[in-house]
Amino acid sequence: MNSKRNFSDRFDWTLAFILILFCIVSVMAISSAQMSGQYITNFVPKQLFWYFVGACIVAVMMYFDPDQYKKMAWYLYGAGILVLIVLMVAPGGVGQIAEPRNGAKSWFHLGFADIQPSEFMKTFYILALARTVSKHHDSHPLKTFKTDMILLGKIFLVLLVPLGLIMKQPDLGTSLVFLAITSAVIIVAGIPWKIILPVASIAAVVGGSLLWMAINMQDFLIHKLKFDPYQLARIYSWLDPYSYSSGDGYHLIASLNAIGSGEIFGKGFKHKEVYVPENHTDFIFSVIGEEFGFIGASVVICLFFFLIFHLTKLTLRMKDPFCTYVCAGIIAMITFHVFENIGMTTQVLPITGIPLPFISYGGSAMMGNALALGLVFSMKFHHRTYMFGNHDDDDDF
Amino acid sequence: MRQKNKNPKKRSTNVKAKQRASLSFRMNVLFFSIFILFSILILRLGYMQIVKGEDYVRTLEKTEEVTVNTSVPRGRIYDREGRVLVDNKPKNAITYTKLQTTTSDEMLKTAKKLATLIKMDTSKIALRDKQDFWIKLHKEEAYEKVSKQEQKAINKDEKLTGSQKQAKIDDLVRERITNAELKSFSKSDLQVLAIYSKMVAGYNLSPQIIKSDDVSDKEFAIVSEHLNELPNVNTATDWKRVKNSDLSILGSTTTPSEGIPKDKLEYYLARDYSRNDRVGKSYIEKEYEELLQGQKAVVKNETNGKGQVVETKTTFPGSPGKDLVLTVDSQLQEKLEKLVEEQLLSAKATGASSLLDRAFLVMMNPNTGEILSMVGKKIDTDENGKTEVNDYAIGTFTSAYEVGSVIKPATLLTGYALNAITPNTVLIDKPIKIAGTAPKSSIFNRSGAIPMNDLTALERSSNSYMFQVAMKIAGVTYVPNGGLRVTANDFTKIRNSYAQFGLGVDTGIDLPGEFDGFKGQETISGKLLDLVIGQYDTFTPLQLAQYVSTVANGGKRIQPHLAKEIREPSADGKNLGPIVEEFQPNVLNVIRNSPYEINHVKEGMHRVYFGSQGSAKSYFGDAKFDAAGKTGTAQVVYYGPKRAAYGTQTLSVTHIGFAPYNNPEIAYAVVVPWITTNESYTAINNIIARKAVETYFSLQKDHMQKQKQSTKEKITKPKNTESENE
Repeated sequence: MNSKRNFSDRFDWTLAFILILFCIVSVMAISSAQMSGQYITNFVPKQLFWYFVGACIVAVMMYFDPDQYKKMAWYLYGAGILVLIVLMVAPGGVGQIAEPRNGAKSWFHLGFADIQPSEFMKTFYILALARTVSKHHDSHPLKTFKTDMILLGKIFLVLLVPLGLIMKQPDLGTSLVFLAITSAVIIVAGIPWKIILPVASIAAVVGGSLLWMAINMQDFLIHKLKFDPYQLARIYSWLDPYSYSSGDGYHLIASLNAIGSGEIFGKGFKHKEVYVPENHTDFIFSVIGEEFGFIGASVVICLFFFLIFHLTKLTLRMKDPFCTYVCAGIIAMITFHVFENIGMTTQVLPITGIPLPFISYGGSAMMGNALALGLVFSMKFHHRTYMFGNHDDDDDF
Repeated sequence: MRQKNKNPKKRSTNVKAKQRASLSFRMNVLFFSIFILFSILILRLGYMQIVKGEDYVRTLEKTEEVTVNTSVPRGRIYDREGRVLVDNKPKNAITYTKLQTTTSDEMLKTAKKLATLIKMDTSKIALRDKQDFWIKLHKEEAYEKVSKQEQKAINKDEKLTGSQKQAKIDDLVRERITNAELKSFSKSDLQVLAIYSKMVAGYNLSPQIIKSDDVSDKEFAIVSEHLNELPNVNTATDWKRVKNSDLSILGSTTTPSEGIPKDKLEYYLARDYSRNDRVGKSYIEKEYEELLQGQKAVVKNETNGKGQVVETKTTFPGSPGKDLVLTVDSQLQEKLEKLVEEQLLSAKATGASSLLDRAFLVMMNPNTGEILSMVGKKIDTDENGKTEVNDYAIGTFTSAYEVGSVIKPATLLTGYALNAITPNTVLIDKPIKIAGTAPKSSIFNRSGAIPMNDLTALERSSNSYMFQVAMKIAGVTYVPNGGLRVTANDFTKIRNSYAQFGLGVDTGIDLPGEFDGFKGQETISGKLLDLVIGQYDTFTPLQLAQYVSTVANGGKRIQPHLAKEIREPSADGKNLGPIVEEFQPNVLNVIRNSPYEINHVKEGMHRVYFGSQGSAKSYFGDAKFDAAGKTGTAQVVYYGPKRAAYGTQTLSVTHIGFAPYNNPEIAYAVVVPWITTNESYTAINNIIARKAVETYFSLQKDHMQKQKQSTKEKITKPKNTESENE
């Protein structure tokens, strides 16, 4: 009966429009960033190519409807895990297919492009998680404390494998993305607050005290809890980059100088002064902040907020809980990326290498995000509205 | 957002509706949290870009200021009359300054170009540099030497970071490079390598000297012409330290390749030194390092968007080190060195001198502490077994000896201060026999009994008189063949008093490495008697000079010093620059004797030279100058450098004095250790003292005449000198 509505009505034009805006911002920022000359490649056509690839992925994904994704969820999840395992055992020597970059074995070097499997795994994980939760609710219509704990256990099991594999690379940023996705889905999945709040408080207390110990009890952390001094250095270079001004500290200072000196109106397109390494990928926001100032940076943040708002609106309109969970996961994923990325360039959070979605240059990230938004497009496309007289409970599963 | 719960038909609808409501609430919670997070970002941006924006703009304007290793000349060292003792010789140098962004390929390219212009010494290239260069030139071949499996094994090791793994692989490659491969370098390759290895060794933004020895004028000119094709290469002036005197107290500096001494690395780095700086390694050069070392230039590096230095502006051009004027008179020093050397060699030529190898003479101004001359000579055998006399001036404060009777004036003054005797106390000189030790007596009186006062005791150098003073200090009564109840406290009392004269303590000389001498550990009674005639503790020649100065100037222990003035760098190396600081006399303490007591002892010392029974009368009786002094002979057991002769009985001879007797200008001390192994010897201690005083006075006379002449000249052209100084 979906076919009764035409394509134009079913397609999410708003989302597409937002993405086009992101594409413009991305191309402008990258073309300015690469004037630093850190790399000789011209990234603009490449990024446009990745946008095209992303569009193709979205188009393909729209052919399938949410029910089919529901069925595919576990196969995709399994395939993702398999690729991560292959990556782990792939040869990692100099010039070999899985040569570590910046100390992390996260990439396949395929000649034409570098592929980061964990970017795709995020979407597959969201699917599997949503499937787990929706199936649980179907089989346990009456919720008790016990069923809730069982659900948490299931979620934990689904999380464990990809998280372990990614932490082993090691890729802290992406691992945290997985945790953010999980948290959002747990909240939306209807786990009672009386379970969520204590767990969240404990996590907050543990995290807070570790941070406090990193500042005041370094010896204890290193000798008794066996933390790597390198991990503590990450904290110090965040809190006091001027005293730890090599590596991350230097990166942070450069980024702060760039963004801060942009002031309200910015220095103008392609008029940046500060050299920030990797400013076409992870530190692209420093270019935006410097050249377009507070106004430009705020516009970009609002654009992201508008995207989230749009996704939230869609989520609330979804009738299938599976779709709701998927959307919540995607919202959490994008939000975490944005908050962590912009946060690290402005000293709100420590530096972990994750890109700014849709804006940072990068094929894997673009394809991964396209996968996620492809799901959203598909859900909107195959969504049945009430004008055909269907009732809320008239779901066909 | 739209709630469709108007027609609750079934129970399941109810449950579902509840779920939907809960879901919608939770989505709103999620959305609200996201709103908070995004607000944090906007607030943070507002704070950074609006509130603090100007601060960041200002930070950017303050581009990095860096101290660079410009070669500023080190300060010169002059003698008191303005003669240059240590100078700098300029020499042409070709330098290379590495930037943070310089890659090894760029360096290699520049090295190749430079190699066509200059000729390097390729004999001193390190093996490691050759290996690295071979790897750089033959990358593929080099890494084929490590099999894929080995590389895999290394890469698997999780304990290693990426760069450690690479280093490990490189080590393996280096091990496996064959000699034939290393010898495959062509001559021109080696030239490039010689330049490249120096470039690599440099530190960022510090000009590294590529070639400074024997840069021909032609090379210098060609490189200067081609500077624009040679990025980061420069032609500059380097300085070489040249010593015009072989006086060992001047010390030495490290060479640029030695750089900062490892044990002081942190100290110097904290003071803006770079690792390849020359620093003072010993004595004057070390003591006055901070003065002599100039201040380096400070430059501001302007970087472009790529982080490359596009321009360097000098904010402080650097300044050469300050010049140091010493108290030493190099003319006097030269003559006295010759004197000591001659006397030492003549004594060595006599019999029983097998252990004699050194002699010292220190001459200082007793009123100001200025050291006029510091002579130490040592006979060494060189590699070919030939004897040679080397400078050992540092021995005057780094080595100590038993000094014998020269300590007696101090013993008398100690006796007065501790109320053991008063001036003119008469005691009977007779052999002292204590149970368990051989009888001790004065040399001139081995068995009799001669009553004498303290003046005569000094004049004739009575040991017995001093023994009795010591017993009175200890408060014990002498019973022939009996024991003496002497306590450790008595040793302390006497040593504390000697320390007032500078004996057995730091003199405070402005040189590093001063030695205080050994103090005997035993406290049996016989040793107390040895102590007061200078046969127990050991003292340095410089301590003797400070001690006799204290007596000569009326009781003030004055700090001896070698630095007279600090001056601004001289413009031409001939005329001294303006004075920055003049060192003032520094009185360390005043002895506890009255002027009368001191003058009394001085009179006794005068009698040593001129009294009818004076022990040095035969050397000074006919002198044309008026002076006072004391000779010393110590019977010692040899523990010098010749191990085979340890324990041999030998004599050391000494001499202290001051001149003129009224208003002394100089105080001097002579020490000639281990002069003989039997009783016969020529008293070169006294000969050196006599001739040294004569040399001083004859030079003084010359100076007076010259000064008269020069004052006349100065009046005629004062303007000229002023302009030269600027």
